Order: sequence, then C-alpha cells, then structure tokens
Amino acid sequence: MASAQAYPSSEPERWKYLDRIRTRAGPFTNDGIFDGSMVAGQMDKMKILVIGAGGLGCEILKNLALSGFKDIHVIDMDTIDISNLNRQFLFRQADVGSSKAEVAARFVEQRVRGVRITPHNCRIQDKDEDFYMGFQLVVCGLDSIEARRWINATLVNMVDDAVEDSYTPLIDGGTEGFKGQARVVIPTITSCLECQLDMHAPRAAVPLCTLATIPRQPEHCVEWAHVIAWDQEKPFPELDKDDPAHIGWLYQKALARAHEFRISGVTYALTQGVVKNIIPAIAATNSVIAAACCNEALKISSSCAPALGYPDDNYMMYSGNDAIYTYTFKHEQKDDCPVCGNLARELDVDPAWTLGELVESLAARPAAQLRKPSVRAAGKTLYMQSPASLEAQTRPNLERTLSDLGLREGDEIGVTDPAFATVSFKFKLKFTKKS
Amino acid sequence: MLKIWSMKKDQQKADNENTAAGKKKKVTAAQLRVQRDLSELSLGDTMRTEFPDPDDILSFILFIEPDEGMYRGSRFSFTFNIPPHFPHEPPKVQCREKIYHPNIDLEGKVCLNILREDWKPVLNLNAVIVGLQFLFLEPNASDPLNKEAAEDLRTNREVFKRNVRAAMSGGRVGGVTFDKTIK
Amino acid sequence: MTEIVANQTPPILHGPTEKEKKYDRQLRLWAASGQAALESANLLLVNSGPGVSGVEALKNLVLPGIGRFAIYDEATVGEADLGVNFFLDQSCLGKPRAQCVTSLLCELNPEVEGAWYPNAEDVTTLESTLATSPLFTAIMYALPIAKDTLALLEDYGRRNRTPLVAIHSAGFYSYFQISLPGAFPIVDTHPDETATTDLRLLQPWPELVEFASDMTKDIDNLDNYEHGHLPFVTILLHYLEKWRETHGGANPATYKEKIEFRTLVQKAARTNIPEGGEENFDEAAAAVLKTVVQPSLPSGLKKVFEHEPKKPIAEGSSFWIVAEAIKGFHAKHDCLPLRGSVPDMKAQSKVYVQLQNIYKAKARQDAAEVLETAQSIAPGRHFDAAEVELFCKNAPFVKLINATEGDESESNLGAADRLREVTAQEFASDENAELTLAPLSLLPIYLALKATSHVASASADEILADVAKTVPGANDQERVVQAAQEVARAEGGELHNIAAVTGGMVAQELIKIITKQYIPVDNTCIFDGIASRCQVLRL
Repeated sequence: MASAQAYPSSEPERWKYLDRIRTRAGPFTNDGIFDGSMVAGQMDKMKILVIGAGGLGCEILKNLALSGFKDIHVIDMDTIDISNLNRQFLFRQADVGSSKAEVAARFVEQRVRGVRITPHNCRIQDKDEDFYMGFQLVVCGLDSIEARRWINATLVNMVDDAVEDSYTPLIDGGTEGFKGQARVVIPTITSCLECQLDMHAPRAAVPLCTLATIPRQPEHCVEWAHVIAWDQEKPFPELDKDDPAHIGWLYQKALARAHEFRISGVTYALTQGVVKNIIPAIAATNSVIAAACCNEALKISSSCAPALGYPDDNYMMYSGNDAIYTYTFKHEQKDDCPVCGNLARELDVDPAWTLGELVESLAARPAAQLRKPSVRAAGKTLYMQSPASLEAQTRPNLERTLSDLGLREGDEIGVTDPAFATVSFKFKLKFTKKS
Repeated sequence: MLKIWSMKKDQQKADNENTAAGKKKKVTAAQLRVQRDLSELSLGDTMRTEFPDPDDILSFILFIEPDEGMYRGSRFSFTFNIPPHFPHEPPKVQCREKIYHPNIDLEGKVCLNILREDWKPVLNLNAVIVGLQFLFLEPNASDPLNKEAAEDLRTNREVFKRNVRAAMSGGRVGGVTFDKTIK
Repeated sequence: MTEIVANQTPPILHGPTEKEKKYDRQLRLWAASGQAALESANLLLVNSGPGVSGVEALKNLVLPGIGRFAIYDEATVGEADLGVNFFLDQSCLGKPRAQCVTSLLCELNPEVEGAWYPNAEDVTTLESTLATSPLFTAIMYALPIAKDTLALLEDYGRRNRTPLVAIHSAGFYSYFQISLPGAFPIVDTHPDETATTDLRLLQPWPELVEFASDMTKDIDNLDNYEHGHLPFVTILLHYLEKWRETHGGANPATYKEKIEFRTLVQKAARTNIPEGGEENFDEAAAAVLKTVVQPSLPSGLKKVFEHEPKKPIAEGSSFWIVAEAIKGFHAKHDCLPLRGSVPDMKAQSKVYVQLQNIYKAKARQDAAEVLETAQSIAPGRHFDAAEVELFCKNAPFVKLINATEGDESESNLGAADRLREVTAQEFASDENAELTLAPLSLLPIYLALKATSHVASASADEILADVAKTVPGANDQERVVQAAQEVARAEGGELHNIAAVTGGMVAQELIKIITKQYIPVDNTCIFDGIASRCQVLRL
C-alpha cells in the first residue's frame, strides 16, 4: 500500500506530495473505482468552474491550482472594494475598482506555473446551459442564497439520465463569522441546495407598523429610513447601497429618528450593516471552508479517498465560536423539492396540434387525471383557466398550433390544476413529427 | 461513486448538437409556483385581476370592491409584483390610490403581517388576497401605518366612518386630499 | 454601545476611516478592542517539513492585521515547495524559505511587519532568534520537530508564559494542540443572543415592580391599544403577582405550574378585537418557560468560582479579583449581577425605552457594588469600571480554559497518563457508537501522527511500533492500523487543502487567544480530511 509506486505527473518533483496521495490507494480508497495510473492525466484535462471570486473564491482558486487542476474558470461580476482586502488575499489596494474575476485569475496564473485560469466578468445568469455543460465540476463560494439557488437549479435541470456526463457535481461553501458549511450535491441523486434551504434561517423581518409608529431598536430606525423615508423623499433617483452618500443620507435620517424616540445605538456601521445585510467575514474561516470544499473536489476527481456526496454524508457544518465543532451528516433529499423533486417528463406531441388539443390530451392522460389544466411555457402564458381576466386573454391561443405559438422541441411546459393544489407538472416537449 | 469523467469525448459531440438545436427553454420553480397559485385563486364577485402582459404573470393588478363594511361602494386597486425568489420572499403589494386607512399609508404601503414578518413559503397568493379583503372589513387601529387614521378609529369610530366616506369621495381629511374611489 | 443620543443635534456625517473600511467585516466580530489586541501581537512560526499549515495560518493572521510576525525556518526552497505552498514562486528556488514566504506574506497587508530567520547576518539560530526578538505573544511550530528545538520552545513558553501551538499535517490528516501557560479565563465569550435573556422576573427590584404595577394596575380597563402594547415583562410581573395571591405567596416552580401559569397569561389576552388576539400576550406566554426561572449558577462560572489560583487572589490578575467579588455578590443576593439588556418586545417606543433604562440602571448599580467589593479585596489596585461592567454583563457566560494548572515536572508525566486514559475512554465509547449514533473517535489519527513527531516520515509498521510504546495495545486496533497506513501514504508530505483547513483553524484559535474573545479549543483539535470532520479532545 504505502510502498506502492506513485504515478508521477509531468513535473514529478514539484507535485510529489500530491501524487503520493492522489495516485496511490490508501486504506480507505475504493479499489473498484480507483485507478492511480489515470489520475494525473484525467485531472490535467478536467475543466472546473469556480463561482465567485470573493473571500471563498480567492481561496478556492489557490487551493484548486495547488490540487492539480489545470483548466480552471472563474465567474464573478463584482469589482474589488476596499472592505474585501481583509480576506480576499489576491487583491491589493491598487486593484480596488477592478474586476475580481480578472485580477484573481491573473494572480493565481502567475503564481502557480502550468495552471490556466479563464475569468468571466459577468453574472452567472448571463451564461447559458451550454456553458455550464462544459465543466465536470462546479465549486461555489458565494454570499448570496439567490445565486446559489440559481446555479443549483441550472445544474439539476441539466441532468439527462441518458447522458452520464450531464451530472455535474456541485460543491458549495458558505461562511458567516467563525461559522460555515461545505456540502456536495450530485444533482438529482443527492439532496440539492433547494432541499437544504431550511438550513438557513432568513433574517426576521420587523412589522412595517413598528417601523412606522413604534420603533424601539436602532435597527428599526435604520429600516424606517431605508423602507419609508427613502420612498417619501427620494433623495437620489435610485438607492445605491455602495454609495457612501446614499448610506450617509440613510444614517442621518435614522439618527434623527433615533433622537426623536430617544433610542441609542445608531451608527454609520450599523446603518451600513442593516441596509446591505452585511455578514461578518474573516480570512481564517474562508480558509477552512474553501479548503474543505477543494479537498472534496480532489477526492471526487481522483477517487483516491471517499468524498462527501454519495452515498452517505454530504454536508459538513463548522462552527468556531465555542472551541471548534463540526457536524458531518447526510442531508436527505426532499421528495417534494421544487427543483430536484420535480423534473420534467417527456411528452410526445405533434407540433401541428392546436393548444386546445394539447390541453385536452393532458386532461385525458390517465396518469395525471387533470381536470382543468393550465399551461405555460418559459416566459409565455399559453392558457390559464383562471383567473378570469387571464383566461379571456389567453383563450385565443387554444386555436393556434404549437409551432405557431413558438414552441420547439425540448422546450418545457408547466402544467397546473386546482385539483392538485400541491403538485405541478413539468413536461419536456418531444415532437413526434418534425415541423 | 459516479464515474463522471469517463465520457468526455461523447459529451463534446452532444454539446455541439445541443448548440445547433438552440437553447431549450426551462420553466423555473418560481414561475410554476405562481402559475399554480393563480390557477387556484378564488376571487368571488368583489375582486378581479388585470394582467398588463399576460406572458408576465409575476406582475398584475388586483381590484377590490368591498360589498360590506365601512369601505363599501368603493373600488381599490393594488399592484402585485412577485419577486423571482417567490415563494421564499413574499409578493410586493402596493395600493395604487391614496386612501384613508389605518393600515395603508399615503404612499400605498400596506401593513399586513403576511406580506412581511409572517410570510412563509407555504402561504399562497390567495392568503394575501384574503388578507387585503379583511383589511377593508376590519381596519385595525393597533398596528397602524397611518397614525392619524388609527387615532381617529381608536378615539371615535363615528368620526372615522365619516372620514372614510369623505376620503373615498375624493375629499380632504386632516389636510390631506385623497383619491376618489367611490364608483 | 456608547450612548450618542444625548441632547445634541445629529453630528456632522463622518463616515468610517480607511482602516475601518478595510477591516469592516472583522470589526463586526471582535470590535475595536479585539483589533487593537491583534495589532499589538507578535507571532513566531517555527517551521519544518513542507511547513504549509503554519504559513496558511500566518496568511489568515496577516490579512486581519496582526502587528508583527517572524518565521524561523532552516529550509531552502525546493521544487516540491512550489507544488504545495502558495507563498512561493519560481524565483524563490534555492533561496531561504523563511525569507521568500515572509516577503510574499508581507505583500498581503502593508500594515504588518514581518521578520525571518536564520538570516545570514546576526541571527543564525533559533536560540538567538528567541533571545533577540521582541517578546512573542504566541508561538506556532510545525511538526515534525527536533526534540531539542522543541525543548527550547517549551522553555521559552514557560519562562514568558507564551502560548504554544503545535501543528502537524500529513496527507488527509492533521491536528493542532494548544499549550496555554496556565488557566485561561475568557469574559467576552460572545454567547448566542437567544441565551442571554435575564429579566430577573422572580427577584424584581423596587423600581421594576413600581413601573410594572403602575402600568398594569388598571389592566382590565385599559383601552385596546394600551392593553395590546403592554410590554410582556409587565404582563408577566402582573400575573405572577396574581398567581402568588392564590398560591400562598409562591411563584410557579414546577413545569406543571409553569404551564398552568402560561395558560393563565394566554387567557388574559383580549380576543374580541379586529386582530383576533394580542401579540404582546403571545410574547408573554412564549417567554414563560424561559424567563420565569430561579437563577442558577452556570457551569462555566461555577468552574471559575471553584478554581484555586496558585497565587493569593489579591495578587493575581484583576480577573480573579472581580470573579471573587462576583462570587460574593452571588452569595449575598442569590443571583448574579443583572445583565441589563432587554430583548425587543411589542411596546410603545417611550415605554420600551423607560423599561430599558430601568434595567440599565440596575445593571450599573450591581456593577458598582461588584467594583466596590473588588476594591475591598485588593485595596489600592485600580480597576477599570468598564472592564468590571463587561464582566458583570457576561458573568453567566464566562469560561475557564485549561483549568488544571499543575506543576511542570508533573505535567509531562501527566500527559502520557492522560493520553492512555483518554485512549481507553475513546475506544470504549467507539464500541457503543452504533447504539449512540456518535461518530467514531479521531484519536487514532492523533496517535498515528504523534508517532512521527520527530521523524520526517515513517512506515506503517514503524508508526504502530511507536504507538505501542505510548499507548500499549492501541497498535492492535483496526482503526489505528488504518490511520498508520494513511499517515505512511503521505510520507510526511502535506496536501495543500488540508494545510489550508488546518491553518484556518489555527488562525481562528490564535485570534481567540489574542483578543480574549470567543472560546478557544481546549486543547487538541484533530481533523480527518477523508470523513471531513473534526474532534476536540483534552489531551
């Protein structure tokens, strides 16, 4: 075992520590799927995507470059802010204002020889499925739940059970203060980020009437300035939470209100924290979580040791507030998950059918037992049985053919029915005749 | 463990085919959920909707014509804007008219618990609409957004009623001119 | 929080300084006081082997603005370093590793000063490094390490009361171990918000009683608005009074009585109103089980009260004197000094602020009493009133780490015994793991790594032979055998990811120790990169 030969990569001396582990079986390696002789060659060719070039993203890029990945892409739309410099170690004072993805990529490429890092200075939503299909692994270091849900849904929806490579594992890290989590999703096979949404408690909202009439906390004063005073006075055309003049205006308003109600504790930092929903972040925690994620990436890519994901544990919770505590467990997939529990089924249709014929055929399907199906495609309302105004507006569509309505092979439709208040169906259109 | 990396070449081919066929359009979970909510909406005789763009079901207008209570005889309208993260975020609802109501301010903001602090993903659009209807039946003085209106309701219900009628006819109450909502 | 509300017009807007902007995300965790402590700290890393974990730890300390660091490392940069250490590049080959790493780390934060040894000039040994450097706040050292080097560091630690952190990382495994120079108390532990409610409802003081009875004396005739805005504290005090009238003057004590009391409160809410119920009464009912409680002495503070420092209290640090004063307060009043914070609750603004002030005033009064006692314990000593107030505020959450401070010659022997004892306990609990669903012990990883504490690498058999010497019999355990094989696979090499996980954890711990905020590990943390989990053991 330990005496087994390592399979050296193209620069054996440089990567000897890594090769000893990734190309040799250990006591926990699953010999059925591990082939040490293939690892270096495979990892050299792998394309891996990093989402986010912030606190976690900088660490992830460094870690992947030193884990034997050679073709790394990074996507981030943000520019560098001064408050990033306490942890986003690929950036310097002089980089403030530049693209995070570009600066980070250039830095790591220069530091680690032989690694190619391609930056994408845009939103994740600007890239289509074809782009994401090009990667064998996605590692996420994001601070927004919305972006996580988007990429999760995209990777889950990409799955085509006939194509093995359409399953792209998603490794996700997140931190808050001294705490964080690292988790692995094998789309449709294990619990997805949407299944795990209840692990993040949303910030409790304060009733509007409390803000309006009986504020008690400094946060209430800031929220009042943000939600009510701003709308009433519109001091600037649109609120830019990164503009100190805007935050300053809110701070002044909040301070005056606090003064009126004799509430103490309104500060500039508090105002900024509440308005931007700032989450405390430090390098140390990012280091732990990003590396835990990349460790899974290495294990998944090489099979040199069991990884989080499948079949057992898929989630590591980490807390450093009170000593150090981790809880690593299996988060179960949810049957009723709106993302991975509701995959589109294929539906054979003739493009020459009218929409009315399609609706009738849905109602006639014995498996679904729909009575009053309403049908929409992505961004297009085809026919809604209710409410009345929408029914009237969409009724003419019933006479038009599917191809006439712009539907194409592979498009998805969503079908709902009041008879099934808790279920909705997704179908992927399969044309029986070519139009 | 999945053998995820084994078929690289095949995938490249498949990719190219997909690109040639154009992008497949997917239905998002939020859109599907709104579709479901709309198809089980029960509006009755006192309410109706209007969709400026029927393809965009995330924004519409709701008209309410209370047939009992102090606000009887008027027609009120609310814009509904459903965020892309629905149902994890509540719909944004705003009254389009300037009305005299303890729980609706002069900008049209509505103080209804399920539109903010008590929103849960299991709630649906119907619950919101029922809530709005209830505000016209039982305006609530304890959790006011329009402090003056709430004060009137608390101290003298008759005066409040008169003010409601005056405001709905487009009159002035307490120095503020309200929109005419009487049909 | 300072009170800025005083009768003044709002100050002219002064935004944050450049430094506050740069450190904004961490100041929200440890505030200006923690930042000041970091900025005056001076750290030493004594490096060996691949030495990546310690460098990663330094990265995570340079970024938040540690004052000064030094690296002692005799290695020259080789090709293999470039595949595992990010703070080296092609141009470093053949140069002193300490020099190159220091220079690239310093790039991360211009406010941090870095030094490296041995240098070609005056400081050529670890001994001279220790002798000529400004006093180190803490020392990290990488394992494996030569025994005499370790002895030097341990001696420095003992003489200067410097915390030492040992770090060992090989392949998928790592551990770090903190040696503190003595009992280490933490006042500012940052407890969870939800755990901090202390309303003293069963021992109210006259001002609070008066305020509550004034608000509730005519409770049934209040109009709906006033009734619906009574702060829940006054509701509970009012109905406790009622309860005592019918229960021979006793408060609800048992769980059953508290449930009955909660029902009494729930039933007092008005329901024939448009809202159908009252939020403040809901809050009151929900708070019954948590706030209608007799104060008890939390275990962390009990440990502090029971601890017997070697020196007489009056000569020790102010911590022990204030602790003694609080102990006296507790004995006299049967409760701790009031924390003084009031959770948010439905109430009119003015009433809530009044209630807040009543609690704050009482907390100040309690703290003043503690301060007075402290001064009588150590006459002539100066006590910082703010420090005493913070201690009083956090008293229930105070923590004592490394509570057993033995004599040094004993502690070495003690450590070996203790390891055998803990090993036996861990293996015993592993046998029941299937029943208790507890994760298996990570101690085998520690044993296997520890066996290579002073050698660059070893075979599985050599590791097991060493384990057999430290903990006889452990070498036969299957999981120890596996751990030995896994450690042998690495041949002393580090994986960058494991080094970064470990360096991150070590940095967190050093931040906690330096700022004296949050609660440090006591004293060993083992990381398993295969199962992706940690275990903390006191060894």
